[in-house]
Amino acid sequence: MAALFARAALTARGRGGDLPDTRLTRTGVTVDPANLAAYARVCRFPVADALPATYPHVLTFPLQLALMSDRAFPLALPGLVHVRNRIEALRPVRTDEVLDLEVWAERFATHRGGATVDLCASVSAGGAEVWRGRSTYLARGATAPAGAPDSDVTVVVGDLDRAAATWRVPADAGRRYAAVSGDVNPIHLSGLTAKAFGFKRAIAHGMWVKARVLASVANRLPEAFAVDVGFRKPLFLPSTVILSTAQADGGWDAAVRNATSGTEHLIGTVRSL
Amino acid sequence: MATQNPATRKAAIVGGNRIPFARSNSAYAQASNQDMLTATLDGLVARFGLQGESVGEVVAGAVLKHARDYNLTREAVLGSKLAPTTPAYDVQQACGTGLEAAVLVANKIALGQIEAGIAGGVDTTSDAPLAVSDDLRRVLISLNSAKTMGDRLKALARIRPGQLVPDMPRNAEPRTGLAMGDHAAITAEEWQIGREEQDELAARSHQNMAAAYDRGFFDDLVTPFLGLTRDNNLRPDSSVEKLAKLKPVFGTGDGATMTAGNSTPLTDGASAVLLASDEWAAAKGLPVLAHLVDAQTAAVDYVHGGEGLLMAPVYAVPVLLARNGLSLQDFDFYEIHEAFASTVLATMKAWDDPAFCKEKLGLDAPLGAIDRAKLNVHGSSLAAGHPFAATGGRIVASLAKTLHEAGPGKRGLISICAAGGQGVVAILES
Repeated sequence: MAALFARAALTARGRGGDLPDTRLTRTGVTVDPANLAAYARVCRFPVADALPATYPHVLTFPLQLALMSDRAFPLALPGLVHVRNRIEALRPVRTDEVLDLEVWAERFATHRGGATVDLCASVSAGGAEVWRGRSTYLARGATAPAGAPDSDVTVVVGDLDRAAATWRVPADAGRRYAAVSGDVNPIHLSGLTAKAFGFKRAIAHGMWVKARVLASVANRLPEAFAVDVGFRKPLFLPSTVILSTAQADGGWDAAVRNATSGTEHLIGTVRSL
Repeated sequence: MATQNPATRKAAIVGGNRIPFARSNSAYAQASNQDMLTATLDGLVARFGLQGESVGEVVAGAVLKHARDYNLTREAVLGSKLAPTTPAYDVQQACGTGLEAAVLVANKIALGQIEAGIAGGVDTTSDAPLAVSDDLRRVLISLNSAKTMGDRLKALARIRPGQLVPDMPRNAEPRTGLAMGDHAAITAEEWQIGREEQDELAARSHQNMAAAYDRGFFDDLVTPFLGLTRDNNLRPDSSVEKLAKLKPVFGTGDGATMTAGNSTPLTDGASAVLLASDEWAAAKGLPVLAHLVDAQTAAVDYVHGGEGLLMAPVYAVPVLLARNGLSLQDFDFYEIHEAFASTVLATMKAWDDPAFCKEKLGLDAPLGAIDRAKLNVHGSSLAAGHPFAATGGRIVASLAKTLHEAGPGKRGLISICAAGGQGVVAILES
């Protein structure tokens, strides 16, 4: 996947136009138990017979990346910021199920800071959809085509003022998640590579933070649920952050904030479907 | 018969759940004790409709345990579908852990302190704890407490390359330095337990367990996990002829009779049993398979006293029988844990030996022989494997179901030997 990042960077200039209609698919996908176990360890999920609801994102991510690194994609991948991620887990998926993946882009939208695009993914088993993912990326300073809708990046949570857990996030958190997820975006790997892309230090993967939040309530989730998070300010590595949770509408509200400054890194909701 | 305290009641065994047992470094190589115990609890919760509910107490343990897992059972509960308000604690009595956990839960139910509880156990020999060598550990502790740079350097200077090799957990007795199999081999030789009878017992364990799986006996006792639906140590086609080909691994010379086939392998797995008062089970509409009537532990001086390491149950059983006014023949089923085939055979031989029963057990007459057709009728550890702390839960649940199937008023005896020269035995009754 490093090659895709490189290609995307080298072909970043001169992009534009509307979103391509491309739909990328991969069929007959099976989960590698060793990778899943490593992912579970990094994100604090138990090793069990059901896939963590965030894991199909890891399966579909290479297709997302292929789509975004293609010249037909109007936005330059370097500099894209993951601002929102919504996952709909339609039913528990067993680790031994054979999965079909489909990825496409939609909703080129106007954001006050630029333009956003949604990378959507659908996962099916035996012909029935079991999982949906929607990753919203912001391209700062970019312009959506005329007549584009407004971006929808708002996630609303209730009061979250009680700390549930303190996480000491180590300096190598980005490298560890990169190793199990394949998301080797340089902004997560080291201070030096992050600086090259304008960050003062390496930043944690948003999807790792989301996965850890979900893992903290993994045994107390409805059978079918949506987990929707907004990624706020970058979580610089290393950091100490605080997870706050509250039960809400049969699900959960959650926030991850810096332990000293209170900077909000993630807010999210879990709701039954 | 001792008088029952009128304020006590017998705890009911409602049912059990375990994951299939897996040979070391196979199907569960990536799973931790906590993963396996959590999955096992969730299987039990699903089976008995306990989602989001609290039970009086969950008691479980592991023999090979990481230092970070000091609160293993409570952590598993917090990661399970049980309510987070469910109390839990860990116990550890080597291979007796699972049965001891059931006895502890049953006793609290008997005293009316709790209405229902879960007893369990888990062990992994794949994800085993490695410790730094004791020498290095001392250096690191003094390094940690050093106040000045000079003290720190002094501490660091004490590190030697040889200390960097970690301590692997070994299946050996700390006081004798002998592996458990070596101890069992000594007992086998003392009691003149032959190779063929050991292989016969092992083959029958495999055949009995395979037949039980085939007729669906384990359908409501086992939940598949990580791709396994049956214990992967199980050899349905095991036979005395095949077992006879294996070379001995414990003992020396002509007296070496113990092979990998008639000894249990290192195994990963977990089990759990739901116990309750009759009233609680009735209110939930749940069955009562059997009651835990009584239990007894014993220990022997295997270091200096000339006793066999695994012979403590031999001492525990007569105490239990006397207290309950029973003879060894008053049982419909016997579950004698097959740590080694030779252990089961030596145990039965000792009970039937007039001299041993008189001199060692202080009995006027030997306890006598048991009907082998009633022994380990659904297979035991030689077939299933033996994840140390998980074995007790496997046996309690299987025996309770066996008694229930046989009808009311049936009685079963459990005998489990454990490292450290200990034994846990119990009586169940349908």
